[in-house]
Amino acid sequence: MLFNYIGSFLIIIFGLYIIIVKKNLIKIVIGMSLIDAGINLLLISIGFRQGGTAPIFISDLKPGAFFVDPVPQALTLTSIVIGACVTALALSLVIKIKAHYGSIDADKVRRLNG
Amino acid sequence: MTSYFSNLPIIAILTPFLGAFLTALLGERKKLLIIEKCIPIATTFTSLTSLIFLIKPVLINKYIVTYWMGNWKPESQWAIGIGLEVDAFSLFIGLIIAAACFLSAVYSFRYMEEDNGLDKYYVLFQLLSASMIGFVLTGDVFNMYVMLEIMTFAAIALTSFRNHIYKSVEAGFKYIVIGSLGSSFILLGTALLYSQLHTLNIAQMAALLHGNYTPVSILALAFMLTGYAVKAFLVPCHTWPVDAHMAAPSSISMLLSGIMSKTGVYALVRILYMIYQSTGRPEMEFLIIFWGAVTMLVGITMAVVQTDFKRLLAFSSVSQIGYIMAGFGVGLSVNKGVAVVGTMGGLFHMLNHAAFKSLLFLCAGAVLHQTGTTDLNKLGGLSKKMPYTTAFFIIGTLSISGIPPFNGFVSKWLIYQATFEAGYAPVTIIALIASVLTLASLVKVIQSVFFGQLREEHKDVKEVPLTMRIPMMILSAICIFVGVFPHIVSKYLIEPAAFSIYNIGSYIDVMFGKGYAVKMFKETVSIPSMNYTLAGYWNPASWLILFVILLIALILFFSFGYKTTNSKVVDDLINTRYETFTGGEKESYNHLGENDMFWGMRQDFGRYFKFIKNAHSGVVNDYVLWVVTTCALVTIYLFTLM
Repeated sequence: MLFNYIGSFLIIIFGLYIIIVKKNLIKIVIGMSLIDAGINLLLISIGFRQGGTAPIFISDLKPGAFFVDPVPQALTLTSIVIGACVTALALSLVIKIKAHYGSIDADKVRRLNG
Repeated sequence: MTSYFSNLPIIAILTPFLGAFLTALLGERKKLLIIEKCIPIATTFTSLTSLIFLIKPVLINKYIVTYWMGNWKPESQWAIGIGLEVDAFSLFIGLIIAAACFLSAVYSFRYMEEDNGLDKYYVLFQLLSASMIGFVLTGDVFNMYVMLEIMTFAAIALTSFRNHIYKSVEAGFKYIVIGSLGSSFILLGTALLYSQLHTLNIAQMAALLHGNYTPVSILALAFMLTGYAVKAFLVPCHTWPVDAHMAAPSSISMLLSGIMSKTGVYALVRILYMIYQSTGRPEMEFLIIFWGAVTMLVGITMAVVQTDFKRLLAFSSVSQIGYIMAGFGVGLSVNKGVAVVGTMGGLFHMLNHAAFKSLLFLCAGAVLHQTGTTDLNKLGGLSKKMPYTTAFFIIGTLSISGIPPFNGFVSKWLIYQATFEAGYAPVTIIALIASVLTLASLVKVIQSVFFGQLREEHKDVKEVPLTMRIPMMILSAICIFVGVFPHIVSKYLIEPAAFSIYNIGSYIDVMFGKGYAVKMFKETVSIPSMNYTLAGYWNPASWLILFVILLIALILFFSFGYKTTNSKVVDDLINTRYETFTGGEKESYNHLGENDMFWGMRQDFGRYFKFIKNAHSGVVNDYVLWVVTTCALVTIYLFTLM
């Protein structure tokens, strides 16, 4: 389990690194998706119980069976949907930026400064 | 204080959402456009009225309204569903939001008439309104996150609504990168907190977290503080709003700047006062006051050097949020008497900032609508052509700079006094200087937009239509009313809201049955009494002291200037204005004109202004780095001191 937590934070840190260092706007969008993925992994890890079954109420549950926590799964689902929206909207903005600026380099897309 | 069941909160949230779907169904048809324009006015008005109906039970009879979605009530004192919970603080912010959305919808009626794709505009507008109202009325952390995301998306799409203009698209992209980074931090914080407490209900979190902080919950606090600081644009996470407010249509800039920032502040207050119960923690108090002071100073010094009308207003908005945060920072003080004054100052300034900043942005929108530009260098002499707008703008300016008969004075006075009494006298001085600079930067705008020489190309400019004037009229009326009768507003709005911020016990009890809070806390939660012994508004003696302090600040300020101008002579082209005018040959360079009133000050503090202007480089990577650095610093600070 510890491995999951380390992994999720590593993915988040990679995402942050990409956003801070890479100048290509599409790569920045990829970094944002990576952060989302890391958080999703963290959420699922929080809800996980060793040996638990899917949280569905059925009549023939084995005696002694227990569920994994369903709430983080619901949160993850929401977070995935939001992440997809972020990516779609950001990429559509990148297309518009390319049309206006002729470039998707972060160093050139900086007319609003100061 | 008992609980009170009501359907009104959910009606207030759902009506604009339904209106959004209805507008989307109608689509882009010329015949239906008038209906589409009326739907948002109707839905936001419905929200406003349903919240007004809640005034009597919540603000006067002091009930806390609860509503469990789908009637999923707590099972053996454990929250399993999403609960809406409306106390006086939520209702106070909710009323501000709903009223501003309504006024913005009325303003948009004529303001947006030259744009196409208006159905999309109104869909997004209603999503934005609904999610902001939902954000403040909910009692569930994850629900807050979802509402925040809807809000952010609607705001981003509206920022880049006029996507034929390059700056809208660029501002939209910066907003989405920094904004979604902030949202990610918030979600991360929520997830970490859930892993500790296994609940998402605010009341239950507050009950469980009382007195047992773990390292994970402190890390969660750091993430959530940074995330909501991005939403409330505290320095150095203040880089996206400036671009966004500048590029968005003015009816939206008004919502983004005047109202949406309040949702971030609301969340910060909920987290600090309610979930983490940091009242009486000096290290937390210091952090928030310090953060507020930095925000004040950086925001306003950036505003002074701007040449774009709306960008200038956006930067001054950043500095006003600093005032609010300083007020709430004092609210965390151990000394209850001072704490109450600080909280009231913060709340009062939230109301006032919403009023005057919306007013100023609507005036900017009026100028943009009639002339087509917001560049200060291309405007001038509009006061004869647009007398009403000029009058409204002057009212807004006097309010925001805290000139006595207007509302800004009351709240700023409370904040000055609270910071001073709490032992943060340097912050009081910074606040006073920031106030002076606010007046300076906005006088510059008045001077260069409304007075001076009328430009040739603006000969045929007319006053804005009546539907655009009405919202401005209402907002200026609010500015004057609140300034003249602060006691009435304070008694019926501010005092209950401040009381409910401290009233954690009741907030928890109404959700989980009486006695739950005491059982979890093992003590009764003390609520400071709301007394006015320290609040000295309209006190002539205090006014005199303020005047003396202002005078000293000004003298100090100008004495800096004399030293630098006399000691060194810079010989670049611009400095020809220092020379004596002899012939006629230098005239063309001598453009020390109406839009450059504070040229001397800019020159005196040239090094600072140059540094701070270069720091706002416009590169999105840098801005993200600032946010991440803030997060790191807050984390280190919290782990060292808590």
